[in-house]
Amino acid sequence: MMIDRKRIAVNLGGGYVPGLNAVITGVVLAANELGWEVVGIRDGFDGLLFPGQYPEGGLIRLSPQIVENLASAAGAILGTAARNDPFHVRSVNAENQVEEVDRSDELLEMLKAEKIDAVISIVEGRALGILYKLARKGLKVVAVPKSVENDVAATMLSFGFNSALSYTTETLDRARQAAQSTRKIAVVEVLGEHAGWLALQSAMAVCADAALIPEVPYNLLKVADKLREKLKTGRTYGLVVVAEGAVPAVAPQPQAIPQTARSLRASLSPGATGDEGSHVIHRSGQAAETVALELQRLTNHETYPLVLGQLVKGGAPTPVDRQLGLGYGAGAVRALSENRVGVMVAFQPPELTFVPLAEAINKVRTVPSGSLFLQVARSLGISLGD
Amino acid sequence: MENQLMSTVAPTGRVLNIQHFSTHDGPGIRTTVFLKGCPLRCKWCSNPESIHPKPELAYNLGKCTGKDQCGFCLKECPESAIFNVDSDTKVRINWDLCTNCGKCVPVCPPQALYLFGQEMTVDEVLDEVEQDSTFYRESGGGITLSGGECLIQADFAAGLLAGAHQRGINTAIETAFNVPWSFVGKVLPHVDVVLHDHKLTLPERHKKWTGVDNKLILENIKRAYETFPDKTFVARTPLIPGVNDDEEHIRAVLAFIKPYKNVVDYELLPYMRFGESKYGFLGRVYEMQDFNPPSPELLARLRAIIDEAFGRSGKPTQA
Repeated sequence: MMIDRKRIAVNLGGGYVPGLNAVITGVVLAANELGWEVVGIRDGFDGLLFPGQYPEGGLIRLSPQIVENLASAAGAILGTAARNDPFHVRSVNAENQVEEVDRSDELLEMLKAEKIDAVISIVEGRALGILYKLARKGLKVVAVPKSVENDVAATMLSFGFNSALSYTTETLDRARQAAQSTRKIAVVEVLGEHAGWLALQSAMAVCADAALIPEVPYNLLKVADKLREKLKTGRTYGLVVVAEGAVPAVAPQPQAIPQTARSLRASLSPGATGDEGSHVIHRSGQAAETVALELQRLTNHETYPLVLGQLVKGGAPTPVDRQLGLGYGAGAVRALSENRVGVMVAFQPPELTFVPLAEAINKVRTVPSGSLFLQVARSLGISLGD
Repeated sequence: MENQLMSTVAPTGRVLNIQHFSTHDGPGIRTTVFLKGCPLRCKWCSNPESIHPKPELAYNLGKCTGKDQCGFCLKECPESAIFNVDSDTKVRINWDLCTNCGKCVPVCPPQALYLFGQEMTVDEVLDEVEQDSTFYRESGGGITLSGGECLIQADFAAGLLAGAHQRGINTAIETAFNVPWSFVGKVLPHVDVVLHDHKLTLPERHKKWTGVDNKLILENIKRAYETFPDKTFVARTPLIPGVNDDEEHIRAVLAFIKPYKNVVDYELLPYMRFGESKYGFLGRVYEMQDFNPPSPELLARLRAIIDEAFGRSGKPTQA
């Protein structure tokens, strides 16, 4: 049998997630077993698109020796790219105008020139669309999904989630002690725009008083009842966990707009000024602030908001995430060895499977209404605000 | 004759918005016409919907009535860029797949989906602007072209302004001057008041926060001051915390503009979080969300420096 010696590239879209280096290690070791060569593209696709920025080269040769102690390490060896989109690359033209240009064709040519047969791309679920478009243009690509929120559909457990859950749980324990010392109700906001896994599971782990998640619209009167009940028994503090995407069951009414202001309204683009109150602004800290203020009114007890935000994406991976990362990395190489391209590696225990990108995009793994986690949380007396 | 030609055969342009009764975009009560397209990428931009040169989709999730009652957009989108998450009936947009084709817009009854920007002729714009001509006359107002960068659509802008003059309407523009000089030369003859930005002094800082250095901009500004001595220029700085809210910048701008008698004022526009929600509508991230507007004390101190330079009051107040 002829040995098919491939040269493959691995890159990263978006920021660091614990377990990322384990994925890279998994790719390198599994490829090495097949006699393939692996290079890393620095900063998303920037290593190829902006070679001038990298005097030492935009590609890094990734040998088994280089990744020897990498799996457990924090930090991004390949660098990160906030936007990993070759279809909209910001550049300055000859007339000094900033514009976003489509450099996808150029990127495919560059990969060809570098004799790179395929790319393994580690991206967040929402960035799968870009890989899908590249795959449609002929790029042999395998996606490895990363999500500390565990919100990638078709994957039961994303790498990074376990580390984030551990860190969040530890921080919630500390927040509870701080709340106890200061006799306040701590309202802690954690990541989770569409999916409340992190908020729900960490709240369960510390037996918080309430967990508010995007899947279960909340009524703070219910949460306040629960807190008051506990305060009556002599407890002087509380702990509420809020996912950043949690929403009230009844949306606040848009504020009445005075007639004079109406006449100032934009006449052509009604949406340009919108209806105040119906805006959905995703701002880190907003959920905690809203809930803390309202609970303070309702319970007549001091509250304070605390925002974990991006902090949970840092740090070294837990053993679970190391194993998962290595597995995802090795799985991506297996996909290529089986000529499965344009796919995302998915963990569906006990299998690692490959989901076509066309089926993977536009899907979010949320907490189903009949979830066992929700049942258990309720049994533990954790209010879900419903 | 040239003016007449322009108003009759002038091209169409991409207009973002026509805002009546503006009081901050030049003298008197004005109608501000926002043109689409900008060659800068200022991180604090309060009109992110004006940046892209072509019409662009926006989505206000708060207005969506959900797939159970509606859901037409899900079927209409040819790019599979509209989808649902299981926990919510309101649709979501995959901005990486959206091509701004706009097919979803007419099938959205609550107007949650809409396009920013539309093609208009000079006369269409001016007919709307002229509706408020009584206010312009009584207040000393008129038309102001803003953006985006209005000079980018130079032919259209020149057509609009020349046409406005023909209709007896005072003209002003808001510009950052980051365009080829030929564009400036085409438009400025038809402008009465030029409101223009001095965003940052140092070229490398200008590049960091706006995407390009300020070499071309400063060349254009200087040349404009010198070429059009009879026009009224007003220098402005959008005051951004930690970016350009320092005395050094204010004094550098004053040193730059003071030799020119046609620069009649220097205004500071304190940064506000106006653009915040619009970033969400366009599926973009607002990078300045953690900053608060400049304090009244800082504003007063910096404005006192300007007042002193223009001989309007006494010494600058101490911080």
